[in-house]
Amino acid sequence: MRESIGRRTHIAAAPCLLAAGMIVLAAPAMAAPAEKYLHVKVEDPAKDENVHINVTLAMAEKILPAINNQDLHNGKLSIHKAEMNGVDVRALLDAVRTAPDNEFVTVKDQDSDVRVAKSKENIIVHVTDKKNKEKKVDVTVPLKIVDALFSTAKNDELDVAAALRALSDAGDALLVTVQDSTQRVRVWVDSRNTQD
Amino acid sequence: MILLGKIALGMAGVGLAGAGLLCSDGVVHVKVIEKEPHGLYISLVAPAMLAPIAVHLAPRRGLAQASRQIQPYMPMIRAALDGLRETDDVVLVEVKAPGEHVKVSRLAGSIVVDVDDAGERVQVSTPIRAISSAVEQLAAATPNPMVTDYAK
Repeated sequence: MRESIGRRTHIAAAPCLLAAGMIVLAAPAMAAPAEKYLHVKVEDPAKDENVHINVTLAMAEKILPAINNQDLHNGKLSIHKAEMNGVDVRALLDAVRTAPDNEFVTVKDQDSDVRVAKSKENIIVHVTDKKNKEKKVDVTVPLKIVDALFSTAKNDELDVAAALRALSDAGDALLVTVQDSTQRVRVWVDSRNTQD
Repeated sequence: MILLGKIALGMAGVGLAGAGLLCSDGVVHVKVIEKEPHGLYISLVAPAMLAPIAVHLAPRRGLAQASRQIQPYMPMIRAALDGLRETDDVVLVEVKAPGEHVKVSRLAGSIVVDVDDAGERVQVSTPIRAISSAVEQLAAATPNPMVTDYAK
C-alpha cells in the first residue's frame, strides 16, 4: 500500500517538475522587455568630483511632451531656418542611409578638426580641438534615431520624443563622450539602473 | 466588566483604523545626524497624508504666489511624478565631491534625498503619492478671482 502511494507521488511529481522546468526556461523569453536607462556621467578628476544621472527612457518620454518652452513643444524641437543654412537635411540623410560605411565630411580649420562618418548603421561625429589635443567630442547616433528625429512632417522640426522612443527600441549604445582638459562627460543608454 | 472590555476594544479598533488611514499614503521620514561627539540625532516619522492636509489647511493668500508660480510647470511635474511612480528603484542623481555626497533616489515608492557632508547627514524620504497630493493642493491654492473681486 505504502509503495503504491510512493509510486503515485513520484508519478504526480514528474509532470510538476517538468512544468516548473518549462516555466524556468520560458521565463526569460516571456519577461517584459527590460527598462532602458539614459545615463549621464560627469567626472572631474582634478577636483575629485563626480555627477551621475540615471533616468528611465520611459520617464523621459513622459516628461518631454509636457515641456512647452521656447523652441520645444509637445516633444518637438523647432529649428530656425537660419540654422539650417538652406541644407536639405532629409535628402542628405537619404543619401547617407544608402551609402556604404565611409567618412563623409572632414573639415579642418585653425581651431578644430571635424570628421563625420557612417559606420555600422551609426552616424559618428568626431571633433578634436587643435590647440588642446585633450579636448575631444565624440557623438555616435544610430541612424534609426536620426530617422526618428526627422520623422515629422514639418521640415523645421526635430521629433525628440520619437527619437527617445527609437532609443528605447535600440540596443545599448554609447551616445556622447566629451573629453575636456579637466572634465569627462559620457552619455549612454543601457538596461542597467546603475552606472557601476 | 465585559462592557468596559468591548468599549476598550472598540476604541483600540478606531485608533488602529485611524492610524491605518493616516499612514495609508506612507510615511515621511526625516533623519538628521550631526557628526560630532554628543551631536544631534533626530529621527522623525510622520504620516505622509499630513503634507497635503497641511497645504490644504494653510491660508490661501500665503500660498497664492507659490501656487501661481508652480502652475505653468504642473503638466511637467505631473508627468515626472507619474513616470517616477511607474519606474523601478533607481538612483536618479548622485553627486560626489570631497567631503560631500548627495544622492536623490527612488526607493520603494518614495523619493529619498540623502545629503552627507563633513558636519552632518540628512536623509528625507517622502512617498511619491504624498508629493503628488501636496503639489496638486498647492497648485489648486490660487484664490478664486471672482471671490477676490467680490471681497474688494
